[in-house]
Amino acid sequence: MIENNVVLKVENLNFSYRINNDDLAIKDVSFSIKKGEYVALVGHNGSGKSTIAKILMGLLVADENSKITIFDMELNDENLYKIRKDLGIIFQNPDNQFIGSTVQEDIAFGLENNCVPNSKMQDIIDDYAKKVGMEKYLDKSPSLLSGGQKQRVSIAGVLARNPKIFIMDEATSMLDPKGKQEILNLIYSLKRANPELTVISITHDIQEAYQANHVIVLDDGKKVLDGSPKEVFKNRDLLLKYRLDIPFYLELDTQLALRGIDVKGASCLEELVDRLCK
Amino acid sequence: MSNMLFGRYIPISSCIHKIDPRIKLIAYIVFFVALFLNYGSNFQNYIMFAIFFILLMIVVFIGKVSIWSIFKSIKAIWLMMILLLIVNMFFTQQGNIWFTIAGFDFYDEAFYRTFYIVFRLILMIMLTSILTATTQPMELTFAMEWVLTPLGFCNTMRVLIHVFAMTISLALRFIPSLADDASRIMQAQASRGVDFKNGKLKDRIKGLISLVIPLFVSCLSRSSDLADAMDARGYDPLAKRTRYNKRKWSISNSISCVVLVLFLAGMIVLSVYQLDFVDMILEVING
Amino acid sequence: MQIKFENLSHIYGKNTPFSSKAIYDINLELSGHFFAALIGHTGSGKSTLIQHINGLLVPSEGSVSFDQYKIYTLKDKSYYIDTSLTKLKLFHKRKQFDIKKLRKKAGLVFQFPEYQLFESSVLKDVCYGPLNFKVDEKEAENKAKIALDLVGLDSSYYQRSPFELSGGEKRRVAIAGILAMDPDVLILDEPTAGLDPEGEKSMMELFNKIYQSGKNIVLVTHNMEIVFKYVQKVILMDDGKIVSIDTPLNIFRNKELMSKTSIRPPEVFNLSMALIENGLDLNIENIKDIPSLADEIKRVKNNV
Repeated sequence: MIENNVVLKVENLNFSYRINNDDLAIKDVSFSIKKGEYVALVGHNGSGKSTIAKILMGLLVADENSKITIFDMELNDENLYKIRKDLGIIFQNPDNQFIGSTVQEDIAFGLENNCVPNSKMQDIIDDYAKKVGMEKYLDKSPSLLSGGQKQRVSIAGVLARNPKIFIMDEATSMLDPKGKQEILNLIYSLKRANPELTVISITHDIQEAYQANHVIVLDDGKKVLDGSPKEVFKNRDLLLKYRLDIPFYLELDTQLALRGIDVKGASCLEELVDRLCK
Repeated sequence: MSNMLFGRYIPISSCIHKIDPRIKLIAYIVFFVALFLNYGSNFQNYIMFAIFFILLMIVVFIGKVSIWSIFKSIKAIWLMMILLLIVNMFFTQQGNIWFTIAGFDFYDEAFYRTFYIVFRLILMIMLTSILTATTQPMELTFAMEWVLTPLGFCNTMRVLIHVFAMTISLALRFIPSLADDASRIMQAQASRGVDFKNGKLKDRIKGLISLVIPLFVSCLSRSSDLADAMDARGYDPLAKRTRYNKRKWSISNSISCVVLVLFLAGMIVLSVYQLDFVDMILEVING
Repeated sequence: MQIKFENLSHIYGKNTPFSSKAIYDINLELSGHFFAALIGHTGSGKSTLIQHINGLLVPSEGSVSFDQYKIYTLKDKSYYIDTSLTKLKLFHKRKQFDIKKLRKKAGLVFQFPEYQLFESSVLKDVCYGPLNFKVDEKEAENKAKIALDLVGLDSSYYQRSPFELSGGEKRRVAIAGILAMDPDVLILDEPTAGLDPEGEKSMMELFNKIYQSGKNIVLVTHNMEIVFKYVQKVILMDDGKIVSIDTPLNIFRNKELMSKTSIRPPEVFNLSMALIENGLDLNIENIKDIPSLADEIKRVKNNV
């Protein structure tokens, strides 16, 4: 049953890359995600974030006793293609996930798989290319595009299939700051336009995690923290132990407190200037 | 990349570029077959080749295909031509004896045959160059898949054709990416003191290994990423899927097809009856 | 040591229909003991510029020199000159130097250098560079061990396959492979791309250590926090030209330049400037990161 709008429920997830290996990549992870949430999945490299994303997409198969429920359907061989229709994922490397030889063909790829008739495709392609701001590049080949542009095309290609859950697997980590910001702004605006869309962002960008609705922290394949950003980022020492960054103003607040200066949790430039210069 | 046989797609606009790739592919096949027909005597074959040559040259000019790139492709097979000539010299013993060296007779037929093959090769290269220079690789794949569609009478064949087309289009898609990888790795290894051009054979082989292994590794990681991305977007080669194409089959396409088929039929008639058309034309002229 | 660019331009695919000018009118001199950063948005010509330092790219116009080695192009012909051999301008042929000598002095680490690993063991891979420069095997192994030690990989790594290491470790091996060549300058093209924040931090600490050990560093990066914290000299590029060479502070202070090149100064800098503008008497020279900013605020507050 879908309780409290839960769209995705992971129970006792275990996974190892080799069969019959005690060295588990994911150890007994459970969490649930509600409809319309923006979830940040954080953890250092090798903590198992991307593995979880691949398991959710059915690209890797979890160990036997694990249970994953997506939209009231259990993820198994039978339901795989059905569930995949509701999921979309963007990976890290912009070039490797560009499937078509032009922008429009790349957006069309997912539509072809969904058996969208040819007569309807062009409208959908034009629409989504416009949403990601790539409408002027429809017949350009990927070698002429920047990393950020390629990522935007992939986003269009994934969203054109109308997924209900959208996963970003470090989608901005190979981009320059400008590309990064553009992708983030794009996701935020797409999310605003469609509040029902559930976003799971696997990220190293701690500011992005700080702005999410829900943060899940992984360390060495285990879930160690789970909650709202406020709750999670309270645990500064734990986060440092898990080799994570602390959001800028939170860290400054702590560092000042250590030196006996109280800025009452100022969380942006204006607040801090206000409290220090008065 | 630049010294590939047949040359690569030149992104300019000409009316040859604008023709539907399916028509271009059919025309290509028709001409290819026509080139392999035998039109009778050597003289007649040469006449036919001259006609084909003029036709292709017209297309080359309309399509703004660089003659230099065709010439380069032809240059690439000059060794093969010489080999052909030598083999033919020794094994052809028909026609008139031209000259004798050390008791071995050389026949004029050997030259005729060699040049017959060489001309045919040159025309084939021209034909292919025109096709590849004026048609985007992806469009060509699309046309190939379309031409093969009638073979998809059963499900297995359909999947096979689809997988074939998908493989080719992905390969074409990733050629520039892999070329980039290769040049980056080459430069990285050059920075570590590898000299790919000079030095001892042993060092050069090692240098080559230092290029090939990383390229292989990056190839593997790319392909596994790509497979994940395709899977994640719901790709299933066995399932039914639609095809995105902007190309509509127009009436002019049908007309072009009919013309091409008539042309092929004409060529076949010429070759089956091996009509002495040169004599016929001369007779007409002389009244 | 000295690196000098004089009126250098580079045109990709010169004399072909696809030619494009990547960088032009580059004049730059780096000398002494330096830790410099090359910044600018993607496509501004940073990578093209650094590939001239070790002769991977040859100038289309102008010259680049590294100590006595000079590469220049005159009338579409390139010359590789060892200027220490003779003062005479003629006799180019006799003064030609082997490009390998330059490659050894300027260690260039490409972006994602883990892709250049190919040997069966870590130690062998790191030895490969020195061996290419005709160092004997024992010496090469020695240099490799020193380099591996410097990047923080102990002897337990020597015999492991580089392909079974984690991403960060692989990158360290690749960097050790360049360090083992014992270059005078280490040129790093976005060495922290794709690492997690912790990996990024420890990688930068490593470069700082390498710098302290006497080597020079040219760092290509998009990360302005790094630039602000570690670097003394910034070369700012925009559209194939060098637009400014200055200290990080002066570069970030120049608002016009920042908006023109669409570079965002680090948050520490922005905040410090805002505090100063609002009357807090911070000494910005002392501020490098969050703890040093907190220290400064404390100092000022206690003085009041």
